[in-house]
Amino acid sequence: MIRNYLKVALKVLGRRKFFTFISLFGISVTLLVLLLATALLDHVFAAQTPEIHANRMLGIYRLTMKGPENIQNSQPGYAFLDRFVRPMTKLPSVERIALVTEAQDVVSFLNGRKIQSLMRRADGDLWRVLSFDFVEGGPFTVADNENGRMVAVISETTRERFFDGRPAVGKTIEVDGQRFRVAGVVRDVPILRYSSSADLWVPITTAKSSAYKQEWLGHFTALILARSHADLPQIKAEFQSILRGAEKQLPDPKTFKFLVAGADTLFEGAARMFLPGEAVVNPGGRLRAVLLALMIGFMLLPTINLVNINLSRILDRASEIGVRRAFGASSRTLVGQFLVENLVLTLIGAAIGLVLTAFVLHAFNASGLIEHASLQLNFRIFLYGLAIAAFFGIFSGVYPAWRMSKLHPVRALRGRSI
Amino acid sequence: MTRHLFKLVWNRKRSNALMILEICVSFLVVFGVATLGLFFLDNYQQPLGFEWKNVWSVRVDIGQSGANLGGGAPEQAAIFARLLKEIRSFGAVEAAAGTAVIPFDQGGMTGSWTIDGKDVQVDFAEVTPGFAEAMGLKMVAGRWFQEADSALSWDPIVIDRDLAREVYGSGDAVGKPFGKAEAKERQRRVIGVVSDFRKTGELMPNGNFMFVLKGMDGPEARPLRNLLVRVRPGTPAEFEETLVKRMQAVAPEWSFEVRPLSQVRATSYHFFLTPLIVAGTVSSFLLLMVGLGLIGVLWQNLLQRTREIGLRRAAGASRTAVHRLVLLEQLVVTSLGVLLGALLVVQIPVLDLIGVLSNRVFASGLVFAMVTMYLISFVCTLYPSTLAARVQPAEALRYE
Repeated sequence: MIRNYLKVALKVLGRRKFFTFISLFGISVTLLVLLLATALLDHVFAAQTPEIHANRMLGIYRLTMKGPENIQNSQPGYAFLDRFVRPMTKLPSVERIALVTEAQDVVSFLNGRKIQSLMRRADGDLWRVLSFDFVEGGPFTVADNENGRMVAVISETTRERFFDGRPAVGKTIEVDGQRFRVAGVVRDVPILRYSSSADLWVPITTAKSSAYKQEWLGHFTALILARSHADLPQIKAEFQSILRGAEKQLPDPKTFKFLVAGADTLFEGAARMFLPGEAVVNPGGRLRAVLLALMIGFMLLPTINLVNINLSRILDRASEIGVRRAFGASSRTLVGQFLVENLVLTLIGAAIGLVLTAFVLHAFNASGLIEHASLQLNFRIFLYGLAIAAFFGIFSGVYPAWRMSKLHPVRALRGRSI
Repeated sequence: MTRHLFKLVWNRKRSNALMILEICVSFLVVFGVATLGLFFLDNYQQPLGFEWKNVWSVRVDIGQSGANLGGGAPEQAAIFARLLKEIRSFGAVEAAAGTAVIPFDQGGMTGSWTIDGKDVQVDFAEVTPGFAEAMGLKMVAGRWFQEADSALSWDPIVIDRDLAREVYGSGDAVGKPFGKAEAKERQRRVIGVVSDFRKTGELMPNGNFMFVLKGMDGPEARPLRNLLVRVRPGTPAEFEETLVKRMQAVAPEWSFEVRPLSQVRATSYHFFLTPLIVAGTVSSFLLLMVGLGLIGVLWQNLLQRTREIGLRRAAGASRTAVHRLVLLEQLVVTSLGVLLGALLVVQIPVLDLIGVLSNRVFASGLVFAMVTMYLISFVCTLYPSTLAARVQPAEALRYE
């Protein structure tokens, strides 16, 4: 049966080439845009180097201090994370916790040339929470951090800029007026990986001033590696109860009384940063809803367009439908057949869209618009693409199919409009 | 004739309804993108109020956030003052100042004051007295800050022309108090008015702005987070290294990041224009899709009406007449779609949904979207209507 449908579908598509072209153009461009967006999201949030354990990793990315009149929102400071989050390492479900600063612009001058880099300060545990690809040397250690040793891990790009790509381990690099010995070189991390991207990493204790040790709000992030994905809800809940305890020890209880924060996955963390207001309750769900709304909003016009074209196509086949109905085909059969036809069309469009996406991504990566970005088609995105295409195919096929099934056989046979 | 046209459209209401919906949604898309573009264009044509060429910004990272400065603030402020002095001693430097915000940069401080029962939203920045010279501000009334002003018993402020007009109307603002001082606050008083200061740059609308003087001595003193340095035209980029080395020598615990304002400006352009470019590209593809779709649907519709058109031709209608009929019918359909879209869009100013949109920008966006939709619709009807006009009466009447 299905084989028959498919045969008819392909025949029909071949018959009216202009319509087929319009439909395919619409479908493939729509899917191209959706796939590009998917590839971008995948690039930012999926588990991949260095966040290969993203599915069992949580981060504390934002902290809000609230009082009767004041509200202050920024990244957490070292004092808060060190006192309240680090002790969570003792929980049986937590494997390790790393503290790392946000990436900050730092400047070096090399032979009169200015080099700008993004630098993070981190403790020695960062290298075990995240898994960087080392091309040379290795990470600095917990002891390096405790003793304030001037060592650095640099990215391949940094090695290129400072050492013309020659082996760098053991050499000295001067950044922001401080000199570090290079301990290791890692592969570049795309700039959009907001919890891990940087050009160089140095121990926290090498900071020029130790004032950060007193800060509740500052530039730090805590990355928590759980033992398994199933432990995440429990760790989140535990963090909330720790937060309640921390509220009682706020340094200036008159100005600030409450703390708002969450142990977030990468996706939830981004949601907390981007959504306006305080997306305190379920930020991930909210961002997902926003993205879905955007997707449906974007698909509105292509869908109307496709419905319109599909209807015209049915008119074209009114006599065929009339004959089939006259010979006893039920509405349901006809609807089924039409949906299959539409799905075939959509899937062909999807295939074209996928090829287009591959080209555009290739050009996009080569353009260097986003530093170190390597947006790629992978199996995950292919599956997303199929799902989107199927959704689109059904979405745009239902109304025309329904109209088609309402077609009166006699009128249809006369070849008059619906 | 008009009634006849509407009747023709009404007779095919189901397929026309879909087309009207499609045109309406396309209209909304064009309106959205066009209005954003026109909004930027309109803002771009207004005066900026400051000179960004040859100005370098320096982000000063003092290694801690403001809430934790505590008792060390006056010492830090003294280092900041020494930095300014050292920078000014270079021959290549024309002027230098400390500031809480960098022009073109995102972020900044916003406050709201109630003045004479009226709520006023104001962006403001703390600056040192050198700011006006470093940024090339134009005074229109009163005077700018002087070093001695920090000894006053009240807080001197300089506001921009828009804020002066909003708060003091056409009267003179200089010398007037700015709002009532709350407990523990000192009275603010206007000492001067500058022409404009569009902190966020050329692409954003002109808002209210207020400068607050920040002195670098006394118990209240705190360091600011940025420096602005006006260098002599033609100063080589290598001077940056000299400058940074000197600053590091003065404040070894601090970090400095120099960015010419031209670079900050480019970043801000990227920030605002990238969404517009992406939206513009995507909607052009959408419009192309809609255009092709319209051609297909119209073609099919007219094919359905071959007999009707043949009859018209047989009854003496000329090709031009058929041509015109089809175009006019499509004009009615397009107008209905555009009207529906316009009715939806007009809700924006009626409900005051977007405050920053001026009527001029809104109206031009509306007109642009209308013209675009009529144009697309017209172009897409041309080919199908030509085909329809070619119908031979004899053939058409035979057609089954």
